[in-house]
Amino acid sequence: MAIRANPRLVEELEHYGAEDVAKCYHCGNCSAVCPFSREPFLFPRKSMRYLQMGLEEKLLGNLEPWLCYYCGECSEECPREAEPGETMMSMRRWLTSRYDFTGISKLFYRSWKAELAAILLVALLTGAGFLLFGFRWGGGHLGVYAGEGAFLTTGAVHVFDWILGCVLAAFLGINCARMWWFSIGKDRTLRIPPLAYLRQAFLLPVHFFTQKRYAECGKKRPWAIHLALMLSYTTMLVLIMFFLHAMHSERTVWAAHGFGYLATIGLLGTSIYALRGRIRKEETHYKHSHETDWIFLILLVFVAGTGILQNVLYRVFHLDVAANVVYVVHMMGVVPMLGLEVPFSKWAHLAYRPLAMYFSELQAEAIRERERAVAAAGAPLPA
Amino acid sequence: MEDRRIGVYVCNCGTNIAKVVDCDAVSDFAKKLPGVAVARSYKYMCSNPGQEMIIQDIRELSLDRVVVAACSPRMHEPTFRKALQTAGINPYFLEMANIREQCSWVHDDARAATDKALALAHAAVRRVVHHEPLEKRFVDMCPATLVLGGGIAGLTAALELSDAGQPVFLVEKDDHLGGNLARVDLTAPYLDSARDMLADRIRRVLESPKIEVLLRSTLQSLSGFVGNFRAEIRVGADGARTVDVGSVLVATGFREFDARRIEHYGYGRLPNVVTSFELERMLREGRILTRGGRVPKYFAMIHCVGSRNPEYHGYCSRVCCMTALKYGHEIKSALPGAYVYDLYIDMHAFGKGCEDFYRRTAEMKTMFLMYAKGTTPEIVPSGPDDDCEMLIKVHEVLSGEEIEVPADLVVLMVGMEAREDAADVAHLVSISQDKDGWFIESHPKLDPVATTTEGVFIAGTCQAPKGIPGSVAQAEAAAARILGKISRGKIEVDAVFAEVDETRCSGCRMCNELCPYAAIEYDAATKRSRVISAVCKACGCCVAACPSGAIQGRHFTDRQIFSQIEGVLEWASSQG
Repeated sequence: MAIRANPRLVEELEHYGAEDVAKCYHCGNCSAVCPFSREPFLFPRKSMRYLQMGLEEKLLGNLEPWLCYYCGECSEECPREAEPGETMMSMRRWLTSRYDFTGISKLFYRSWKAELAAILLVALLTGAGFLLFGFRWGGGHLGVYAGEGAFLTTGAVHVFDWILGCVLAAFLGINCARMWWFSIGKDRTLRIPPLAYLRQAFLLPVHFFTQKRYAECGKKRPWAIHLALMLSYTTMLVLIMFFLHAMHSERTVWAAHGFGYLATIGLLGTSIYALRGRIRKEETHYKHSHETDWIFLILLVFVAGTGILQNVLYRVFHLDVAANVVYVVHMMGVVPMLGLEVPFSKWAHLAYRPLAMYFSELQAEAIRERERAVAAAGAPLPA
Repeated sequence: MEDRRIGVYVCNCGTNIAKVVDCDAVSDFAKKLPGVAVARSYKYMCSNPGQEMIIQDIRELSLDRVVVAACSPRMHEPTFRKALQTAGINPYFLEMANIREQCSWVHDDARAATDKALALAHAAVRRVVHHEPLEKRFVDMCPATLVLGGGIAGLTAALELSDAGQPVFLVEKDDHLGGNLARVDLTAPYLDSARDMLADRIRRVLESPKIEVLLRSTLQSLSGFVGNFRAEIRVGADGARTVDVGSVLVATGFREFDARRIEHYGYGRLPNVVTSFELERMLREGRILTRGGRVPKYFAMIHCVGSRNPEYHGYCSRVCCMTALKYGHEIKSALPGAYVYDLYIDMHAFGKGCEDFYRRTAEMKTMFLMYAKGTTPEIVPSGPDDDCEMLIKVHEVLSGEEIEVPADLVVLMVGMEAREDAADVAHLVSISQDKDGWFIESHPKLDPVATTTEGVFIAGTCQAPKGIPGSVAQAEAAAARILGKISRGKIEVDAVFAEVDETRCSGCRMCNELCPYAAIEYDAATKRSRVISAVCKACGCCVAACPSGAIQGRHFTDRQIFSQIEGVLEWASSQG
């Protein structure tokens, strides 16, 4: 059955940042130079082709964009300046919007104004909610930051964090299930034994925590920066979800705060480095910036900055009122950042990329098995 | 025989000859032959030092005959004849033994190849003894030129010649000038208007007092020879003109491949399958519509229709790729919402500005779909839910997928082919056609606009598919060649030709019928045939055919040829 080509898809992907894909004439230099490209996933050329031809179904089930870490070597080698690296990035944005069943992601990627408005709305609602809680229901005082009579009690914030976490996990979980369906579930030609899912499951934490394929790139710095950012983020997430009491206690608990300071330095350092890189456009992977990249980085700097500021105001200057105000402002950044960016925008890749590493290994195994079966069936019978 | 002083020169041709033939053995052998005064082997006889060696030997050793055992005489006979002339002896005292094309290039066995070279050298030595001194002659050159074809090549050549002050008769079959280019809208890769280019040239041609334009006219016959042709031209339905010209330029152009021949593209049957020339017409008229009067949204260009397919034409028509890219630009500028695909085999974007043009077309989001050579895309009806007239199914090579694309207008990029009357023209002006019908140039690289008939030149797409710059360049080159002949005022005629001994001629006229160059006249009064030496190419047909033995070819006398044959046979018998 012939697949219908859709000449409009190239235009659609422009909204996601793929502005140069039409220039590609398939010399294959990109796939040859890519340190990650290997059988049976030879990218980025083939993904570029699916996009040029508008083979939407093929593209939707294609995990290759997630196997790319955008080291930029392909774009540097491309004789036609078709920016294969950026095209893969755009396809990740497009795939994120397609995995998302709510349509919110699509809206955000296609309109930065909508995303900004949503962030502001959630921020205002969050601010209003926490103020209402502090003044009306919490029974605390604006003059107390931590301990007895605190404006925002640790217990209440903790409960709120967990509710938010569960909602996000639900959204992301459904999207991940859709990703599985598009790439593996729908494809009737792939037979993956259930045991294989278990056997390969170790790939998820391995790729999540080490990003070791990124380390295969000739340039090590982007990997180091990315790893530092990711580990800082994860550390902070663990601290907030499991050690909020220690973080919010009256005394400095170095076992928790030490990690907090490290994570803050990591988050601020790497995100400011990335912001500076995107402004200067010196490194290939920073040359093209989608609006969502800016929003993501600015939110990150804002959240990390207000996070450390409230801590300093309270612990160094003992300014409880100011610390409480900054705390509310901090939450006005945290909630939209986690609530909107994780399931619907750039941060979704924290789940999709390790999943793609995992799924692609399953796919590769199934493809190899299929080829073996074909070869065995085609082999002449012994005399 | 002993009174001859022969020099034998064996060329190694670098290693071309020496790697198979033992060149020293050939020169040692030649030294011992009767009449040979000197024999040498040298790396490159055609080089300046090689020629100097011959010249010096002729002067110092008083040589009167020279044998060069080297490449084909087609390659370097003129070179060595000139050397003889420089040394002060008649250039026709030279004989070449071809020990490259006939020995080293075609044989692996070094011993056998060397034996053959010895035989050929022996034969050449035996022959050259009988060479006679011949003198070149000169005839007058008529300055007028007959240009066949009023397309861009013919117009250009006519202008070049008339600008130089020489008269031109421009013969055009159609009722207007411009040829195939008059059917084109814009031109690739700079998107200049063909109409503008042509209008200026046509105006200048029509205004030129030196150019006589004959429309609705065809050449009926051409007689004579270089510098002295006489052309009979039919003008209109029943007019006739006879003109005397010194040169003829054939610039008769091409015709487009008949798309009906590839049946499954459905041209002529499917309403919205058109040829590239039909799209040109739509673009020129500014009305791009489907047969049903709808503005098309999806355009598909199918490349290589009739070209690069052994069933039709194996060659590439050279201009269709860039023309198809041009349509992409024109369509998208006329209909900004339209989608354009190019279904191609390979993108041939050679030529100035073309690769850049290809790149710019890609940037405009033209969808390039590669199909495999030997396959053809398939056009099928669209379904009830489709917003298009047709679907094209194709095995797309770069993705490896079977795909279908929507199409409202399918444009067949028809290739170029030789015109239906090319064989007639070739026969009239005595030039040859290749297997595809294109006129053959004298040398594909070094003499691209001359033909094997002196004074007859070719330019433009009648020679092979090419674009406007190539056609114009050829026309200007041909004009320069013609002007060169005109400026010399006289035509040098080769001293080698056939002669009729009138005392032995019986007037049977067999030779008149046979001569492929119409070089033999029959004098009804004396009842004798006579060779027009300037037209004769010395092919030898008449010599062989004459039942009375009345015709001899100069430089190819019976004595010369028989002694050459004896040379080979004697050598063979001496080997037992």
